[in-house]
Amino acid sequence: MLSDIITPDLFAAAVRIATPLALAAIGGTICERSGIVNIALEGMMLVGAFAGVVGALATGSAWFGVLCAILAGALLALIHAFASINLRTDQVVSGTAINILALGLTGFFMEVIYGHPGTTDSAPRLMPVFNISGPTEGVLGTIWTWINGVFLSFTPIVYIAIFIAIFGQWALFHTRWGLRLRALGEHPRAADTVGISVVRGRYSAVLMSGALGGLAGANLTLEQVGSFTEDMTNGRGFIALAANIFGRWTPGGSYLASLLFGFADALQIKLQLFRDVIKIPSQFFLMLPYVLTVVVLAGVVGRAVAPAAVGKPYEKG
Amino acid sequence: MASPLLELRNITKRFPGVLANDSVSLKLNKGEIVALLGENGAGKSTLMNVVYGLLSPDGGEVFVDGEPVELKSPRQAIDLGIGMVHQHFMLIEPLTVTENIVLGNEPTTAGVIDIRKARADVVEISERYGLAVDPDAKIIDLPVGAQQRVEILKALYRGARILILDEPTAVLTPQEVKELFGVVRQLVTEGLAVVLITHKLEEVMASSDRVVVMRDGKVVGETKPSDTDMSGLARMMVGREVVFRIEKKPTVCGDTVLNVRNLKVLDDRHLEAVKGMTFDICAGEIVAIAGVSGNGQTQLIEALTGLRKVEEGTISFLGNDITHSSARQTIDAGVSHVPEDRHRRGLVLEFDLAENMILGDHRKPPFTKRGIMDPQAIAQITEERVEEYDVRSPSIRIAAANLSGGNQQKLVLAREVGRNPELLVAAQPTRGLDVGAIEFVHSRILAERDSGKGVLLVSLELEEVQSLADRILVVFEGRIVKEFAAGQASDEELGYFMTGGGGTKLTENSDTEGGESNDA
Ligand SMILES: Nc1ncnc2c1ncn2[C@@H]1O[C@H](COP(=O)(O)OP(=O)(O)OP(=O)(O)O)[C@@H](O)[C@H]1O
Ligand SMILES: [Mg+2]
Repeated sequence: MLSDIITPDLFAAAVRIATPLALAAIGGTICERSGIVNIALEGMMLVGAFAGVVGALATGSAWFGVLCAILAGALLALIHAFASINLRTDQVVSGTAINILALGLTGFFMEVIYGHPGTTDSAPRLMPVFNISGPTEGVLGTIWTWINGVFLSFTPIVYIAIFIAIFGQWALFHTRWGLRLRALGEHPRAADTVGISVVRGRYSAVLMSGALGGLAGANLTLEQVGSFTEDMTNGRGFIALAANIFGRWTPGGSYLASLLFGFADALQIKLQLFRDVIKIPSQFFLMLPYVLTVVVLAGVVGRAVAPAAVGKPYEKG
Repeated sequence: MASPLLELRNITKRFPGVLANDSVSLKLNKGEIVALLGENGAGKSTLMNVVYGLLSPDGGEVFVDGEPVELKSPRQAIDLGIGMVHQHFMLIEPLTVTENIVLGNEPTTAGVIDIRKARADVVEISERYGLAVDPDAKIIDLPVGAQQRVEILKALYRGARILILDEPTAVLTPQEVKELFGVVRQLVTEGLAVVLITHKLEEVMASSDRVVVMRDGKVVGETKPSDTDMSGLARMMVGREVVFRIEKKPTVCGDTVLNVRNLKVLDDRHLEAVKGMTFDICAGEIVAIAGVSGNGQTQLIEALTGLRKVEEGTISFLGNDITHSSARQTIDAGVSHVPEDRHRRGLVLEFDLAENMILGDHRKPPFTKRGIMDPQAIAQITEERVEEYDVRSPSIRIAAANLSGGNQQKLVLAREVGRNPELLVAAQPTRGLDVGAIEFVHSRILAERDSGKGVLLVSLELEEVQSLADRILVVFEGRIVKEFAAGQASDEELGYFMTGGGGTKLTENSDTEGGESNDA
């Protein structure tokens, strides 16, 4: 039984489910490191998911769809940046408004472009990167199924997300960009006094988070589902926010935290298949990812310290 | 003659309710140190923040090398060769010393920071200028004196032509001050120009070429150190005679107010910072802790005021054990605390004067009745104390962040001393105050003592220690290494023990370690 549950595709599913969470979470990390709270990741993901499908359906190119998704996410982020940096609006209020706006916009354009609510037609999708056949028999066969399943079975954005996590982790602590980003979120005035533009730094961080949110959306529609359904992000943006905190405001940590959520979700789905064998109500399985969150948050992670100036608008004298 | 390096013409800067700079003109030539003097709130920092591009003036012009310049942001000022050491440190606490110093001017290849070169640069300038810092330490773990050195190194690292020093010596030891001015002298002979803002008149006399005095936002006079003396400078600033040395009656030592036995306290890195201190303070006595910053003073104070856990030993206050009391319990018991860093611990900068004035007493009548605050009672006490302590502000409804540095300090003092405590724990109480305000605060602290209160004074300034203390405890590496009665020790002797000359063991008094703890 256990060997039916612990299979390569359980881990593969975990990585797949983790991908949009991780991308958005890393977006959240970058944004909050610059001192701006971004609870609009949900909306950016949704808009990205929709724009991705629109772009792909219109041109027949899934990659063009990805580009549209990134741009749409960034465009939405521009509103957030303007509201929180120039107008110094409360960032939670602005983020909430953007989430609502995203829901409305996608629904509206659904009607305008496709003439109906609900779900779009199937769009061209991004296919798995590798398609290697290996041994199927014996011990070698088992090993190959594991390697292929856990490492080689994914679509492009899944690998891109892993790359962004690793590269982002390194960049945050070793590049000029990273140092300045960290400075902005801790003490923007100090950054200002050494000649770093707070406005420019924060704008670019918010836009980056929008682009990553959009990319997360593209992963949902153009790699996982294949079409767009209204409100399909279903709270993932908020889980991503938790993953960012969980990962202590680092790209690598965000990815690993997302992976944990992804694994819990994958396990939950898997266990539901065995509901006749394991006599436990299915609601229990559905609970699993959330219980895991609470346990890990309370026990393993310890106290997480947010960037000191996060959420506070910067005002020059 | 060549045009001055920096020239300000008719700079005017208005804040709501205040004319902070009223048509100020100033010239700064190559190779000179100009001291900018003035009372707290006179507009010195404002003027320099305009020069540094942090504030935009409402009127007036700035010329660099005779050319008019527009300073919209510090970036432009930096590019013109202007450097500034800010009155309130501009340091990022979770970052390291190296990261803070190079920030904005990082040595990079293709955007990647060459951290080894950065570190080497920091070590190099720190050695060249005799300002010792640990390049790998995080700012948050450093004592204020070391933070001050980092802030100065930050400006020097950028290699400015015009260096603005806004109270750079407020938390340095005399030795460090001497070294700093050695450095500044050397820079000036290399062609730099320096604006020095300080409230320490002996520094002005010793190191400046020219003195410009401001009052109420205007330049009210200019002089040379050779043409005047300290009382002359004080008169120009304050507009009256200032008494530098206060008369002190002999102390009448009453009951024991504070009794500390074998106290051990850890710092944030879990290293032992206070390594077994034992001392008493009696009613009507001022006990001063003298020492170089970073020898356990911060942790000692935090332990006494309930802000830090005590590892070992006991603290008793008026006969009651307060070893493990919370900050609230210690305040309620009658302990007041003037913290060394007014921004980190002393004030809620976003709160207005009135709100800050009752912090800590905000639960008690008359400020609060049945859980509801009484704005009138709060305003009344605030008005009274603001008046008494001469906190200069257009209104008590202004955020504390908008006060000048010295007036923020007065606000903290007004609250902590005004509360009328049984024990006053004061760290650097006169940090950033002008001579007139120092005179007042010293007389207030003496008045507390004369009315039978206990005072624990922690100060880096030997002059303050010498003139106020009835007893001086010298600390080094977390231990009390020497005790002097008032007037017993010269500055040199104190300095000798402060820097470890007497070793790390208490030399004279018998060690009371393992002594009885009254009320365990
Ligand atoms: N951001 C601000 N908003 C409103 N008022 C301000 C602001 N900054 C300074 N002021 C006011 O301007 C005046 C001058 O302040 P400034 O900080 O220049 O004084 P200062 O001479 O540096 O004093 P100190 O010696 O105490 O540092 C003060 O009355 C202060 O309250
Ligand atoms: Mg000032």
